[in-house]
Amino acid sequence: MSKPDLSVEIAGIKLKNPVMPASGCFGYGREYSKYYSLSKLGAVVVKATTLKRRLGNPTPRVTEVTAGMLNAIGLANPGVEQVVKEELPWLADQNVPIIVNIAGETVSEYCQVAEIISHSGLAQAVELNVSCPNVKLGGLTFGADPVILADLVRQVKKVCCIPVIVKLSPNVTSITELALAAEQAGADGISLINTLIGMKIDLKTRKPVLANKIGGLSGPAIKPVALRMVYETARIVNIPIIGMGGIYKGEDAVEFIMAGASGVMVGTANFTDPYACPKIIAGIESFMIAQGLKSLEDIRGCAL
Amino acid sequence: MILEIEYINNLTSDIWEMKLNGDFPFNNVQAGQFINIRIKDSYDHLLRRPISIAEANTDMQSLTIVFRVVGQGTKWLSQRQKGDKLDVMGPLGVGFPLPDYNRKVLIVGGGVGVPPLYQLAVDVSKYTKNVHILLGFRNARECFWQEKFADKGELVIATEDGSRGVRGFVTDALKAYKSYWDYVYACGPRPMLKALKQYFQGQDVKGYVSLEERMACGVGACYGCVCSSEDRGENFRICKEGPVFPWGEVDI
Ligand SMILES: Cc1cc2nc3c(=O)[nH]c(=O)nc-3n(C[C@H](O)[C@H](O)[C@H](O)COP(=O)(O)OP(=O)(O)OC[C@H]3O[C@@H](n4cnc5c(N)ncnc54)[C@H](O)[C@@H]3O)c2cc1C
Ligand SMILES: Cc1cc2nc3c(=O)[nH]c(=O)nc-3n(C[C@H](O)[C@H](O)[C@H](O)COP(=O)(O)O)c2cc1C
Ligand code: FES
Repeated sequence: MSKPDLSVEIAGIKLKNPVMPASGCFGYGREYSKYYSLSKLGAVVVKATTLKRRLGNPTPRVTEVTAGMLNAIGLANPGVEQVVKEELPWLADQNVPIIVNIAGETVSEYCQVAEIISHSGLAQAVELNVSCPNVKLGGLTFGADPVILADLVRQVKKVCCIPVIVKLSPNVTSITELALAAEQAGADGISLINTLIGMKIDLKTRKPVLANKIGGLSGPAIKPVALRMVYETARIVNIPIIGMGGIYKGEDAVEFIMAGASGVMVGTANFTDPYACPKIIAGIESFMIAQGLKSLEDIRGCAL
Repeated sequence: MILEIEYINNLTSDIWEMKLNGDFPFNNVQAGQFINIRIKDSYDHLLRRPISIAEANTDMQSLTIVFRVVGQGTKWLSQRQKGDKLDVMGPLGVGFPLPDYNRKVLIVGGGVGVPPLYQLAVDVSKYTKNVHILLGFRNARECFWQEKFADKGELVIATEDGSRGVRGFVTDALKAYKSYWDYVYACGPRPMLKALKQYFQGQDVKGYVSLEERMACGVGACYGCVCSSEDRGENFRICKEGPVFPWGEVDI
């Protein structure tokens, strides 16, 4: 049998396979490029980029929990100018599409970062991380209110000439309402889910382990929630969906594709195994061979 | 990479020594670097455990680690047996820079900060015979590798209860020396490192400390393990720019 075709197209970007490391879990790619060629990946999603440099939260910032981990990094990054100057040119030479995750505390900050990234010509898409608190609106996250989210997406779309993917937070009452708002405001794709808010307490100190007290839960523990949210979203939007949350194996990725995702992102698994992404790609391929699938389109959304 | 356990040995009530061999770049190990060990092939422990390389023997093509059982991961490690395989990443991070020839060197360690200083003492002894080693433990029962260290320099032990060597902390023992040093290398609890940095404040010594922080990736990709620069104006990743830093550069 001929090799199955793993390629997918998301928001007009052609990817050789649906697997991309998730934002914040892969730095700017340099570290993992020592383990394998980044050109094996569908795309690389880099850390959240903000207008100004951010040092992030105090430590401890990470801790392990049952079947997952908590993080409260606090969007540490050198700022968009430095990212465009020092990080993206190197990554752009690795022969892999680049998606830049961006964050901000005001609509204008998101817009400025998106515009700089878009003008740099170094990235194929931006991904809006809308889990940050909106400072102007008293700290409510951009991703928690459909009206605020739609306005943000509309403003960013005006200044950004590359596709805009909106990354939804699971810490909301209705994920579908937000997905629809993003689609109607012109988003080119939706990625989900970001981390769920959690906590761990140290029995010896009797205090939360993380200096920030609360942090984002990721890893296999969140996979059923993520899958449900991808499924619900896929039933109501027409733009492409990128699913993530606890993907550790090829089979996990296939589940997300069956739930309607065009692509998948892999976060925590990179920490457990630096070769996680290439192994997941190989796992998807083996599944396709075993099932006699020629293309991922044969199964995408089949569970809906 | 997969390494095989050549032996595992109990050193004190809760400290273990483990020798590993297999396909590892033993020749490229710098004292102070660490390995990141996978705990079980299951979803129970998704984050690897960072453990310093205590000894890398290029002739024997082996690696020795020494660890204290403090939680589930290190407990699982202590229950491994000869012949078992471990999934490790490494060598990771930046270790101790070695001294110029014939300089006076002080090596200071506390508790489970002591192990990586053994490889350092081995390497340093190739550059100078002027090596003082000062190791602090809680009590005599907690001491380990005393003979090995005594072979590499002039060794002084300090115990908190005085059951062996000098009574008190390493910084108390320091006062008894009538010596100056060109280099001070240290690994141990933060309060010890902080006290050392203060003790040598204003003196013309090159000081290096090895720091610890909770890690996720261990390679520099997640920004989980940072420490701040001395002026707190920027952060360094302990797993990538460290774990060893010149003490003047970091806020301990
Ligand atoms: C660079 C480096 C080198 C180290 N070298 C040694 C060594 O040579 N010998 C030794 O005994 N210990 C060493 N440690 C500490 C060792 O990593 C922890 O004791 C170990 O991770 C605890 O795991 P656990 O599952 O037993 O404990 P748990 O408390 O159950 O672990 C829960 C989580 O917290 C993390 N964690 C807990 N304590 C620490 C700690 N002190 N530092 C970092 N992460 C921690 C664990 O990795 C794990 O992710 C080193 C740490 C670092 C960062
Ligand atoms: C250490 C860490 C840092 C993260 N940083 C970001 C970030 O900067 N921006 C973002 O949108 N998501 C960030 N995330 C969320 C991940 O991209 C992903 O949505 C989440 O971890 C779920 O996937 P996983 O279970 O495969 O890890 C981060 C996650 C982790 C664990
Ligand atoms: S542990 Fe990820 S950057 Fe150090």
